[in-house]
Amino acid sequence: MEQILYYLLLIILLGSSIFAIATKNLLISVITLTVFSGSLVMLYVFLQAPDVALAEIVISGGITTGLFIVTISKTEGLE
Amino acid sequence: MELTYLVIAILICVGLYAIASKRNLLKIVIGINILESAVIFLFVFSSYRPGGTVPIISGNHELFVDPVPQALALTAIVIGASTTALMLGLVIELYKRYDTLNITEIRKMRG
Amino acid sequence: MRKLYCLILAILLASMFFMAFSGLQEVDMELSNFYLETGVEETGAINMVTAILFDYRGFDTLGEATVIFAAATIISFLLPKKQTTMLKDDFSLLVHKSIKSVIPIVFILGVYLVVFGHLSPGGGFTGGVILAVIAILWTVVFDLEYSESKLSYSTKSLIEDLGALAFVIIGLFGMIAGSTFLASGQAGFYLGTPGEILSGGAIPYLNMAVGAKVGAGLAIIFNSLIKGE
Repeated sequence: MEQILYYLLLIILLGSSIFAIATKNLLISVITLTVFSGSLVMLYVFLQAPDVALAEIVISGGITTGLFIVTISKTEGLE
Repeated sequence: MELTYLVIAILICVGLYAIASKRNLLKIVIGINILESAVIFLFVFSSYRPGGTVPIISGNHELFVDPVPQALALTAIVIGASTTALMLGLVIELYKRYDTLNITEIRKMRG
Repeated sequence: MRKLYCLILAILLASMFFMAFSGLQEVDMELSNFYLETGVEETGAINMVTAILFDYRGFDTLGEATVIFAAATIISFLLPKKQTTMLKDDFSLLVHKSIKSVIPIVFILGVYLVVFGHLSPGGGFTGGVILAVIAILWTVVFDLEYSESKLSYSTKSLIEDLGALAFVIIGLFGMIAGSTFLASGQAGFYLGTPGEILSGGAIPYLNMAVGAKVGAGLAIIFNSLIKGE
């Protein structure tokens, strides 16, 4: 069961990173980046690394997304 | 499990591709973020030992996961966040000066 | 045409990286086995990752804390101080009240992660970032003036400086106790029984110093980014 979930997370990781690069709308790209770091956190929990998972979800899920959205609100939202 | 190395290699190249070929400044910052996360994922994955447990020594576990790459990964995440914050600060400054996020136009305007 | 070249370059690099990485897991854990065996006796902390970060590699963590310090200073210096109306979509009363009740819980979580850093997962950095989220919540939900009135810029930079100073002073205690700089285990600090809160020599205090520093630093970064018009 874990193997299936593990490979599913890897697929989500790849798909969200490619989609974040390909999409034109910057806000959607930033939200996809959050999905990317969310699936990365679950992979870290699978790999027995809770410290890193906590740091990853709080920092790249929380602060970095907030900074990106502040930047988008100050600049333009479409490529 | 070997497949994870392939996924990490692809992620690194997606990040590099974004930095190399994207015009928009924010897309470049996102590409750098993806590149950093892929390298940190490589750190944590190479520290995994099958059957190992969390490196907290309480109770009678025998095989532990390697804690050294995890400590480095923790440091790398925090430094990645502060560099991203700095890059975004510069992106806002650039937008204020040139009123566009497209690097080719910025290069043209700089003359 | 240019995109095609980038794509081919990317595919070639992917195969090269894959061949380079494939053997990384079989590397023998000689150094980390030493850490795992002698870690608890030498540092008193049971969370090995925090023990490595704050006792064996304390100097490296000091360097990393200066990176955050530098980033916060540059950003607050880079962007002008003029107040601006930004993100003025004022939330409904419901959001204000619920955020007001959530913030104490977030504060307790942050302090818990900082203080229990050497026992359970988490540590100075994670707890500090969660504490920074509180200042960010004030700025986003209420407006910037409210956030500045609660925790003004000068107090935040004061907290950041005190955190850095505390980190260095604890390091100097290691030298005063006859061992090297930032040596909490070898310097004969009170290690206590592993598993209690007051165990682990100087690690809990280093955790608190880094937590205060990272929290104030990221709060300054976020408010400075918002302030620049």
